[in-house]
Amino acid sequence: MHGVLGFQLYDWSYFFAQLVAGLTIGSLYALLALGYTMVYGILKLLNFAHGDVYMLGAYMGYFVLTALGGAAKPSVAVAVLFALMFLAAMAGCSVIGVLIERFAYRPLRRAPRIAPLISALGVSFFLQQTAVLLFGAIPKEYNTYSLRNGELFNSFSIGNLRVQYAQLFVFVAAIVLMAALTILVRRTRVGKAMRATSFDLEAASMMGINVDRVIAFTFLVGSALAGAGGVMTGIVFQNIQPYMGFGAGLKAFTAAVVGGIGNIGGAMLGGLIIGVAEQLTTGYLSSAFQDLIVLSVLIVFMLFRPTGILGSAAVQKV
Amino acid sequence: MSEAQQPPDTPPTPPQGSDAGPRIGSDEWVARREDRVARSHGLTGQVERLVARVPQWALFIVFVVVVALIPVMTSDQYVLRVATDTMLWILLATGLNVAVGWAGLLDLGYIAFYGFAAYLFAELSSPHYGIHWPTWASVPTVIGATIILGFLLALPTRRLSGDYLAIVTLFFGQMFVTFTTQGRNWNWLGFGSSHDITGGPNGLTSVDPFRIFGHQLTQVQDYLWVALGGFVIVALVLTFANHSRTGRAWRSLRDDTLAAEVMSMPVNRLMLLAVAVGAGVAGLAGAINGAYYQGVFPTSFGFQTLITVYAMVILGGAGSLPGVVAGAVLINVLLEVLRSPDHSRWVFYFVLISFLVAKVRPWRALAAVVAGVAAFGLVVHAIVGAVWPRGTEGAISSGVFGFTTHGWLAVILRHWLVLPRNTYDVANYTIGNYALVTLIALVLALTVAQGVRRYVLLVPTIWLAAFVWETRLIEESSTTRPLLLGVILIVLMAVRPQGLFGTPRVEVV
Amino acid sequence: MADPILELRGVGKSFGGLRVIDQLDLDVLPHEIVSVIGPNGAGKTTLFNLISGLYGPDTGTIRFEQESIVGLAPHQITNRGIARTFQTLRLFLNMSVKENVIAATYGHTKATILESMLRLPRSRREERESAQFAEERLAFFGQRLMGYRWNQPAYSLSYANRRRLEIARATATRPKLLMLDEPAAGMNPVETHEITELIGQLRDEGGYTILVIEHDMHVVEGISDRVVALDHGVKVAEGTFEAVATDPRVVEAYLGTGTAERK
Repeated sequence: MHGVLGFQLYDWSYFFAQLVAGLTIGSLYALLALGYTMVYGILKLLNFAHGDVYMLGAYMGYFVLTALGGAAKPSVAVAVLFALMFLAAMAGCSVIGVLIERFAYRPLRRAPRIAPLISALGVSFFLQQTAVLLFGAIPKEYNTYSLRNGELFNSFSIGNLRVQYAQLFVFVAAIVLMAALTILVRRTRVGKAMRATSFDLEAASMMGINVDRVIAFTFLVGSALAGAGGVMTGIVFQNIQPYMGFGAGLKAFTAAVVGGIGNIGGAMLGGLIIGVAEQLTTGYLSSAFQDLIVLSVLIVFMLFRPTGILGSAAVQKV
Repeated sequence: MSEAQQPPDTPPTPPQGSDAGPRIGSDEWVARREDRVARSHGLTGQVERLVARVPQWALFIVFVVVVALIPVMTSDQYVLRVATDTMLWILLATGLNVAVGWAGLLDLGYIAFYGFAAYLFAELSSPHYGIHWPTWASVPTVIGATIILGFLLALPTRRLSGDYLAIVTLFFGQMFVTFTTQGRNWNWLGFGSSHDITGGPNGLTSVDPFRIFGHQLTQVQDYLWVALGGFVIVALVLTFANHSRTGRAWRSLRDDTLAAEVMSMPVNRLMLLAVAVGAGVAGLAGAINGAYYQGVFPTSFGFQTLITVYAMVILGGAGSLPGVVAGAVLINVLLEVLRSPDHSRWVFYFVLISFLVAKVRPWRALAAVVAGVAAFGLVVHAIVGAVWPRGTEGAISSGVFGFTTHGWLAVILRHWLVLPRNTYDVANYTIGNYALVTLIALVLALTVAQGVRRYVLLVPTIWLAAFVWETRLIEESSTTRPLLLGVILIVLMAVRPQGLFGTPRVEVV
Repeated sequence: MADPILELRGVGKSFGGLRVIDQLDLDVLPHEIVSVIGPNGAGKTTLFNLISGLYGPDTGTIRFEQESIVGLAPHQITNRGIARTFQTLRLFLNMSVKENVIAATYGHTKATILESMLRLPRSRREERESAQFAEERLAFFGQRLMGYRWNQPAYSLSYANRRRLEIARATATRPKLLMLDEPAAGMNPVETHEITELIGQLRDEGGYTILVIEHDMHVVEGISDRVVALDHGVKVAEGTFEAVATDPRVVEAYLGTGTAERK
């Protein structure tokens, strides 16, 4: 799939198609980025295993789908089917996320900075290989094309844009989840505790906040979102395989940095930007350059605006 | 008593920790460890004290001599190949130790440097482009180019925290794999035709072997000596660097980057230097890799290789040169052994039993646990045998789809475990899968259990571990081996972050 | 009248919305000992951080030996001749006592990594000289950090010895201006007295210019040629110890309004 810089530059409908696709995948990156950004905000930890939790979520959704008859002949209504898939994936992934935190990261709270990072690498690899053992390395297919004769992939028009229902679904679902998260963080006690802990962990613990529980909860929420993202990926992109989390995780982290590490709105913004950038690259240049473009975006932001678009400058107290 | 003769100061009291003793990294924990080693009469304590007393240069010489003599002592091709592979890993681990062990940087693009060097060597010495540089020109060029690559990669991140270096290098490593895999039809942004730069998934083959003094190196042991020679030079040179102002500066920046900067050390430049030096060593290893295997392939330079070399460095002890050498040997030998079920079985049970003997005290508890495990197994076997006959008719695996019923171990296992016939039918995978998940849950539960419950939980866990091992893990060694590496990393960080031969560190929290 | 070795003019710094240092002017003459006092949060450590280059001022200039040092990296500023200690100790805990001090000689040694790798003469000579120099720096503190202590890891030192080591390490950078951030913090009266003498010795024997942040007024009284008082980032008084200690604005800063009127 090569893009040749030429007449395609003047083809607006092509551009919009890429844009819509970019926003779709960007919503997925945004969901993943949220988990990264929340954990980094509190623990200053790059949770490399996060992408693999996303992968497990995709598989959990797959198993629910298969258990309920598969996409071709589901035994329940589509809405119920999707709801169950999401619930299963989100619940399962939250458990896994909490377990990972409890057993791989918590013992290392006071260890040197690279210790939890190395542990995270180990967890990531462990999850990938366990997935290969349990599910096999051959990709599995959601096969949602057969769902109600492919209704999901019909498209409709909004002005100049042609949007597939599936794409709209992902975008809207991501926004709903993010809105829910924002409410959680801004309006609940737990959310306030999360914000306090990400500001200053020690101070928060001295103010009576149970820091361990807050951290576990953060992992819970982040992993649930990742699980949802995994199911969405399966629904829209069909293919899931054990190594899918790795690359997605890297891009999601870039999205978090671009939007502003520690900032929830930033994660969404960053995710969309990265998704669109990636899709435009694939559309106009070549999919082989995707990684290069995203990495360049990351480096540019790290050099010139490390706090991201919406982030605020963090001060290091000496 | 003059001041100079006063006994050492007592360490200051640590911030209030909790139940399970002082936490990793605080003064008290480290100070206590030294006490423990000094007072320890157990085997590990004695070994540690013995090892500490032998001067490092003596160990080094012994090691070099022993390795150099391996081809003289045996002509078994398998042994020679394993030895050469291990030597190459040792070289790699030594290079990674500079950035990770001495400077405390997480350089996750290290294997991309290795791959870059191998590919560059291949492109300079193969029919792919039709050029065949002589060895004395290609190797230094490759090393130099890799060093430059290291510089370039670390350059954008030099002003930022180590976390960002980790992500950028990881990203780069990923990109390298993509590039090599897709390099068959490489299209420079749509201009011009597509080029075959990296040979795609099949890699580049027919790479020239080394030619040294007119002599073509085609034997396995030639490369063992080349790698050994490279290691000797690298180890010496790096040790000298480590004992100089640069090494000291690396250690300072590892301990407290800000303080190092304020104490006149140009931290950014030093970080660049550490990555570049590591890249140089990877460059040498890459060139040797290309010539030895006479081919380069994308799958050799991916995430799994990265995890492997990290496991070697961390297990051996990041920061300690003899440590990483030991780590490389241990891990590579372990991985080799795990390839064949007959051998890996022994390792598994040996480790299991050593673990029990080492960790379950006093003797009565150990006896109880062993008896419990035996009884548990026999009981389960009987129940399953009665309810599902096929479940116990199988035999233990002995290699690719082979099963054996001979040998005393086979007999024990057949009666103690539940070995379904045809374990490798698809339908039977699921039993193993559920068992695996249950096993993981049990192991996690074990780490938090206390007192008697711990022993009670241990019994089914051990049995289940043997069950999963025999029915799932032992044959799929290509997945089991990497799985183990991941587990090793996780466990090491939680239990013994300094690895086998590293020194425990105090952290400024 | 000698030119000031350190000159701050109109220096200001804000973090977020908070103005931590505001329009600060400060002169330090060579070989002076100047104490900076003020309640917590007055901006004293921020002042040190600005001078040593950890961050840059939003407004104003900082000149050292008549040359601006704003925008230089911290290690460059240290090489120009400014060294400091930290309020919360920042030693290289896993390195030995001697190594901590030798490490700080980096800026004054020149051997490149290549020279070190090949053990060329310059690198070996510098190693010997640095080790020697470090021993001299440590000897300044009497026997406390000498002999067997050299090879002990820094984390095994007592608190007071750690503070001393940090000062020794700072002097190893061969500074002209030495900035000590609360050198007597956490010390008992005997140790405090020692530190007071030590600071005087540093100036007399070492020829350093010294800028000290301190809370303990006995120390301040004992060492200072001049005292500068800060409150909320603003200089409220400057002069001899007696003048500043009785200045109503200083009293108010420490004790609040109402007390000043009673004086």
